[in-house]
Amino acid sequence: MVVQGVKTVSKAQNGLGAFILQCKRIDFHYCDWAGSSRGMKSFLTSPLLAQFTSRYPGVEFRVSPRPNKHPILKAYYINGREKAVCVRNLEREQILKKADFLVANSGKKNELIRGKTVVSQNENVRGIWSPMHGGIKSI
Amino acid sequence: MKRLRLLKWSGSVLSPRTRPDHIQSQLYTFRRCLATAAAPSESFDESVEELADAPFLPEEILQRLPSPPVTAAKTSAKLAALHARLSLPSRLPLETLARTLVDASADPSIRFNNKPFAVLGNDLLGYYTSEYLLSQYPRLPLAVVFAAMYAYHGPATLAAIAREWGVEAAAEPGGEVDPGLLQFKRLPPEPKPELPHPQLISTRQEENPKFRRTMSSRSVYDDQFGEIKRRVQGAETSQEKGATLQRASTDFVRAVFGAVYLHAGRAAAKQFYNDHITSRQVDMASLFHIKNPTRDLSRLCAREGFQAPVAKILSETGRKSRTPVFVVGIYSGSDLLGEGAGASLDEARIRAAVAAMKGWYLYSPTEFRLPSEMEEPGARPWTPILVDPGEIAN
Repeated sequence: MVVQGVKTVSKAQNGLGAFILQCKRIDFHYCDWAGSSRGMKSFLTSPLLAQFTSRYPGVEFRVSPRPNKHPILKAYYINGREKAVCVRNLEREQILKKADFLVANSGKKNELIRGKTVVSQNENVRGIWSPMHGGIKSI
Repeated sequence: MKRLRLLKWSGSVLSPRTRPDHIQSQLYTFRRCLATAAAPSESFDESVEELADAPFLPEEILQRLPSPPVTAAKTSAKLAALHARLSLPSRLPLETLARTLVDASADPSIRFNNKPFAVLGNDLLGYYTSEYLLSQYPRLPLAVVFAAMYAYHGPATLAAIAREWGVEAAAEPGGEVDPGLLQFKRLPPEPKPELPHPQLISTRQEENPKFRRTMSSRSVYDDQFGEIKRRVQGAETSQEKGATLQRASTDFVRAVFGAVYLHAGRAAAKQFYNDHITSRQVDMASLFHIKNPTRDLSRLCAREGFQAPVAKILSETGRKSRTPVFVVGIYSGSDLLGEGAGASLDEARIRAAVAAMKGWYLYSPTEFRLPSEMEEPGARPWTPILVDPGEIAN
């Protein structure tokens, strides 16, 4: 045998061909009794909710009561993580902003990107600098 | 009280996809094998017919079904979200997408599970990937072609794709389960194969001498990845034994490709393939595993009529130090075939030979056309692509 093949798995590059939104489900929880859910209830009964959900057909939305608790938004992501935001005493426009934040999120843990080097799967076009090549000085 | 014969009375509603009654199933299939219309259903209650039109069936009927009824597809939020997330063509109905999520281990009937779609999808994936590989890299050795096929659409990759599509698996299949979940009867995950790591595709002495395991026999007898084909099992045994998550996800992704092809046509299937498979990254140079690169290179040069390869030191530093670096180039006459750096002269020479071999095998024409482009209407006349004499033999 001259050459053998090595079994590997190809790496996904989301957005290069198809783009898959990483948020797959958002739960809206409210309480019928408590005052902190006032904004949430007005959000759920307003046309804002229908406008928001129709913008993201690839996300499953659920509305359910959560009695005697503050209202929350809970988002589930493809990487298996979930993120919850408490929206007590918030107005409906503020809740919409929170929902927008969750639906556009990647689902990863928050990390500081300042100072990180560029990471690429492709080979460097120029190659790595080598002291062995080109313009070698003899001392 | 008259017993409800659900599968018979729903026949008028869901004409091509009725679940046959168990008693008469054999007779029915024989009688209907050439018919295009639904068989005339027997007399049934009016109230029962109304029930069939409703999207929600009663719980006790649902629990008897092995997979969700067709009517449930329209009411599933998960299914609609999956359809939108994958940007599937609108001509692919939700009912078909629901069917691609039913594994053969959940529902043995091939009119309700994804087996027919998966067979078609597997063939499509093999066709598109192999034509792409052979046109882009005409000199690739067969073992590396198998490895590349495995990397692009092997079971491990397809299972990863199903995960990246956000498909969740149901704990247990059944009629009452949300049709947006992957339905299969679970087996514990497969044990890790006791093979050296990394797993290599090569000619190998098998324990059973009956098996021919040369590269040529793989291309004739084995599947797309050069592996022994799975034994075809009876429907009952596969239903009893179940499937692993990886196998069910693999069949699901294949079935989606088959369903896109059947419902939306060839162009949409090709586009879907480009979006989800071609866009994935595979480093072709890392798929090679060469045991005797210097020997193979000299054989290659002899076959091609080049001068015998000679290794020359291009530059070096720190020969007497703890960390020397040598840069060795392999020349055939005055042509530099490959170059490599290493901590010893031997290592650098071997790296240079590997680079030369890869440089030969990974040749890619600047412009190439795929055979499947000829299927499009108004395609330019076909110009033959490069066909290589092949890899060097032992």
